[in-house]
Amino acid sequence: MALDAIGRPGPSLYHRLNPLTKVASAAVATLGAFLIGGYVAPALLFAGLVLPGALVARLLRRVVRLSLLVSLLISVSVALVSVLTRAGATTLFTIGPFDATLEGVDFAGRVIVRLVVAAAALTLFGLTTEPRALVADLERRGASPRLTFALAATLDAIPRMIERAVVVAAAQRARGLDTEGRLLARLRGLVPLVGPVLLSSLAEVEQRSLALDARAFGRRGPRHPVWSPPDSDRQRAVRWLLVLGLTAILAGRAVGAVPELP
Amino acid sequence: MQRIWLRGVAGIAAALAVGLVALTASGTLDATPDPATGLIAGASALAITIAIAILAGFLGYAALELLQTGRLDSIASQFGTRTLALMPIAIALNVVLGQTIGTALRMPIYLDSIGTILVGVLCGPLAGAATGILANVVWTFGLAGTPLGSPYAWPFAIVAAEIGLFAGLFGRAGFFRSRPDTPPDRLAAGAAVAVVVLAALAYLGILPAYLKGTLIDADLTTVEPFFIAVALGVAAGVAAAAVVLVVRLVRERDLGVAYVVVGGAACGVVSALIATPVAAIFFGGVTGGGTDLLVAAFQQAGSSLFEAVLQQSVISDPIDKTITFVVVFTILRSLPRRFVVRFPQGERALGEREG
Repeated sequence: MALDAIGRPGPSLYHRLNPLTKVASAAVATLGAFLIGGYVAPALLFAGLVLPGALVARLLRRVVRLSLLVSLLISVSVALVSVLTRAGATTLFTIGPFDATLEGVDFAGRVIVRLVVAAAALTLFGLTTEPRALVADLERRGASPRLTFALAATLDAIPRMIERAVVVAAAQRARGLDTEGRLLARLRGLVPLVGPVLLSSLAEVEQRSLALDARAFGRRGPRHPVWSPPDSDRQRAVRWLLVLGLTAILAGRAVGAVPELP
Repeated sequence: MQRIWLRGVAGIAAALAVGLVALTASGTLDATPDPATGLIAGASALAITIAIAILAGFLGYAALELLQTGRLDSIASQFGTRTLALMPIAIALNVVLGQTIGTALRMPIYLDSIGTILVGVLCGPLAGAATGILANVVWTFGLAGTPLGSPYAWPFAIVAAEIGLFAGLFGRAGFFRSRPDTPPDRLAAGAAVAVVVLAALAYLGILPAYLKGTLIDADLTTVEPFFIAVALGVAAGVAAAAVVLVVRLVRERDLGVAYVVVGGAACGVVSALIATPVAAIFFGGVTGGGTDLLVAAFQQAGSSLFEAVLQQSVISDPIDKTITFVVVFTILRSLPRRFVVRFPQGERALGEREG
């Protein structure tokens, strides 16, 4: 969850890093874990990109707890599906018609490791970065104002829509909408639930578009943001190093120059 | 008008050319699974080829438009102020409805593409694709560390882009247009065409996942009885859906329902084809939902990982996308016309006012 309002310095050195640096770290850790695979590479990415940041930000326990929670359901699914139903030569034990194989355990282990590392990297990013700061930074770097507006407006719209959806669901249930019965009844409940949320949200669209036009949103020319997060040459170098390093490793793997780690 | 047709031809030609080159370069569809991953290289290449060919098609269209007019109005017009006001609402709808309504109704469907489809229909295919991509990026990075965030949404951005693209193209072609009080003869003809298209989608796009070929060329003696039984079940499901469609058409006399069901099913089949390698490569074929039981069942019955994920996807994705298309169609019918026509593609989506 965002810890600082936009513009105020964060409580640790990691919080105060430029948002793009933290995005690059999270993205490289996530992509690297998924694309390189195995056990060693994700562990190294965790040790190199997530652990130091979590320690500096004093969020290690929270990052580990949240990332395990987030990845729990999908990890259990991976474990059950892979261990019990994936074909393999070495059977560890049998449960009814299902043979748990060593190959299945290995496959599940590889997938779960990268799921947890990706969740940890992104959780660290989420806990230490105000999304609006990232949007402001993107705008300063020349990202399309349309893109940055869409991102910022989305982050504002989501909490309002959650409240609306909860209220609509409760109101429709109070009016007798069946959300617990048979499949067909629940299917019929889709439009009475989705409709009011959608229609009330769409009512805002007209007002927003008029407000944008009134503020000359479509105007061409340079824009001068009121505030943008600080950056440094060192962070810039680290970002390039991370991205080029991952690219080099993936390219090396593709041509066989980099060996596959266990 | 002629210039627009030329651009369309250029786009299709570019897509076909790139697709053919890519398929030739990758070789014939290799059905041999990789023993380490269970992936069938040929099917992954096909999914990627389709995505690259579609991109090439748009680039071809855009290039000719730039040559003809010196501008890219067809792209820029899809991202006007109203589109920008709608996109955040649409993305929020994807995130919130997928989490709250889906949970409240306990349905085995995703419901996380309603906003994407809405933007596609009202604003155009590129706006729809952009909404899909942004939604998945926001879901991963914008909501990271929050209860709504999902660290595993980002790889499916390509699927979301395809859904937005298809919704935009179908919207442009008038698939989401309500056609009330359709005369009985047109209703019957439309119903027949819809049933034939659904049957063709099942025959070419769904049943081969279980039978390892179409009904004509598959060697059923090499197919496990379990998969033949599943194929029969799926065929029965498609037949039942066709019956429900015909009954609904007769009751409501709105031929638009047929269009939107066919569009949703087609979008769902393509989504399954693109989502399968993503799910298999990144997540071991599972998503943490109830559909993982299907993957387990198919894998237990002898399918490789890729085959099992594809066999599950071609059931769940067409159902999900068809239901979502119908929901969006129903909601569009209830929106005031003067509101809808202000969007870049709103008037084309609704059609001309009758009378």
